[in-house]
Amino acid sequence: MILHPVDTILSLVLLSVLFSFGSSRLPGLIKVLAFQGIVVSMVPFFMGHDMDAGGVVFTFGTLLIRGIIIPMSIFIAIKKVAIKREVEPIIGYHASMLCGLGLIVAATYISRQLNIPSISEYTLLFPTAIALLVAGMFLLMARRNAIAMVLGYIMMENGIYLVGTTISIRARHIVEFGILLDVLAGVMIMAIILQNIKRTFDDVDTAHLRTLKE
Amino acid sequence: MVEIVFLTPFITGIIAFFLPKAISRQLLVATGAIHLFLSLLLWKNRPEAIFNNYFAVTPEGLLSLLVISLLFFLISIYTVAYLKETQIQKENIFTGSMILFLSTMTMVTLSDHIMVMWIAIEATTLASAPLIYTHRTSASLEATWKYVLICSVGIAMALLGTVFITLAMDIGNVDAPLSFSALTQVAKDLDPMWLKAGFVFILVGYGTKMGLAPMHTWLPDAHSEAPSPASALLSGVLLNCAYLGIFKTNKIMHAAGLNDFSGTILIVFGLMSILAAATFILKQNEYKRMLAYSSIENMGIIAFGTGIGGIGVYGAMICMIHHSLIKSSLFLSSGNILLGYGNRFIENTGDMVKRMPKTFVAFFAGFAGISGFPPFGIFIGEMFIIVGAFRAGHFLAAGIFILTLCVIFAGFANQVMKISFDDFNKEDLNKAIGLKERASMVWPQYILLLTSLVLCFYMPDTLYQTIIDAVTALGGGLK
Repeated sequence: MILHPVDTILSLVLLSVLFSFGSSRLPGLIKVLAFQGIVVSMVPFFMGHDMDAGGVVFTFGTLLIRGIIIPMSIFIAIKKVAIKREVEPIIGYHASMLCGLGLIVAATYISRQLNIPSISEYTLLFPTAIALLVAGMFLLMARRNAIAMVLGYIMMENGIYLVGTTISIRARHIVEFGILLDVLAGVMIMAIILQNIKRTFDDVDTAHLRTLKE
Repeated sequence: MVEIVFLTPFITGIIAFFLPKAISRQLLVATGAIHLFLSLLLWKNRPEAIFNNYFAVTPEGLLSLLVISLLFFLISIYTVAYLKETQIQKENIFTGSMILFLSTMTMVTLSDHIMVMWIAIEATTLASAPLIYTHRTSASLEATWKYVLICSVGIAMALLGTVFITLAMDIGNVDAPLSFSALTQVAKDLDPMWLKAGFVFILVGYGTKMGLAPMHTWLPDAHSEAPSPASALLSGVLLNCAYLGIFKTNKIMHAAGLNDFSGTILIVFGLMSILAAATFILKQNEYKRMLAYSSIENMGIIAFGTGIGGIGVYGAMICMIHHSLIKSSLFLSSGNILLGYGNRFIENTGDMVKRMPKTFVAFFAGFAGISGFPPFGIFIGEMFIIVGAFRAGHFLAAGIFILTLCVIFAGFANQVMKISFDDFNKEDLNKAIGLKERASMVWPQYILLLTSLVLCFYMPDTLYQTIIDAVTALGGGLK
């Protein structure tokens, strides 16, 4: 079987998922996420769909935001406010990696069961999308550091972007005006909030955010 | 001119950020009044929207809109009095966000395009986050963080659900605009598997915002940390807005003949929410959190009724309207209690019947209403839902439903009795506190409760007809 270029790119994305599960420090995790953002937003160029000018602009915009602006701003944020660099895992790195491998296998199995005509030629597309979604959720739940949680959220967004831009033209229009607003708004607000968390507490360990029970 | 209803508060909201305190308070009330007037006009004329691909006047939207409008007007009157009693830093941000919040919620009720609704619901999160963070304490910051994070994940799920619905359109070779009304018409041609997947993700996504268990964890914190007028808005109308998204998607499911599938899921989520509320309400030691759990319970009841179908959907609509009226009055009263006792714990309150008689009347009547006592509307709504459940043959579910409601009533009653009648003789607290019950801090609650009371005995034909129009699309009705 000859690998399609899209599948080659997607295998890099899957690798980035495993890397992100294994990173113990924030700068590394941010770099992995930046790489992932760039790679994921390039996928539509290799899909062979017709892309109009608006589509190209949008894809480059996403690349810029996901790959450069967000990681840069988080970098600056952790430099400026001396946030703890450890991601403080609830589930350890080795266990996380194992979960990641199991997740990729499960995602591949599930997407074999689903039959989506428009993307059936790309073997890895749907498994990667599912893996990104669940991996993002995993980072959200299994890391205590607030920035790591935000990065997990961005990974989820990447997964949705991958599903949306590749499945159909119509779905691409949805993520076009959906995801931009979502990412921008969500991350900006979270950044503001993080700053405030910083001001009020002293570090962004969400374990400090556990005074309210239940 | 449908759009003007949400554009007006949008503009005044932005203006309010830059005005001095006193004027922005006036603007809050003025916006409430104008909005109420515009909503009534909309109700009467039911015009076509200018951007009719994106906005439409639907019966279920109108119902929510009128509730939002009435609530906001009364809450804004209360807010002005409340702000005089408390110190809030950066009050302009508070009033401006309140008005913007109104604008975004109005947009939810009027949107017809799936993505416009999604954007509007996202915008409600953005507009309401500053409200929760009003007090700027570490606890309120934690609540805001939790709220934004959990709701963002939820809204991402809803986006994924929408993507799946477009996939269902592609596989079914359907060419239609992506609006709820158009999709309902072509629902039969959509691919059922992906439509189901879309519904599940949208339900989980908007259900997060609506406060369905197990995605409800942000709700008690946000409601207890926000200032009382904001909690009243969150609980009274924001939850309804999220429900509207689920309701409209469910309409597509119903038109596609998949209502058994969607109904079962709604029943399960509904029962889970009611059970979660029952577990936490029994041991609650803060009165605002108790009210928040009661909101989760009521959202569960509404989801349950919608899932049952038939007469249950009608009951759910009744419950939705009356829950908004009564719960917002309860939250406003809880604001008085907070001001009067300076404390949010139930154990540090007591003897309200003597210390704050006017608030006591509002709080106790609200308690009776929310627990489903006869002169108030929730009684009728729950009655319809139970009858509907038995008719549809969900005996076990109905059994659990009734039993849990009893448990919640017991827990709720226990706490309310403590607040109202327990001896209050803590010397040190005694000196510091006391609240002069201004008319504008009790009358909004009275009016809300009276509206609920009157609607039980006399429902105007136009209101009745609108509810029936809304529920027939889900196969509901009074038959």
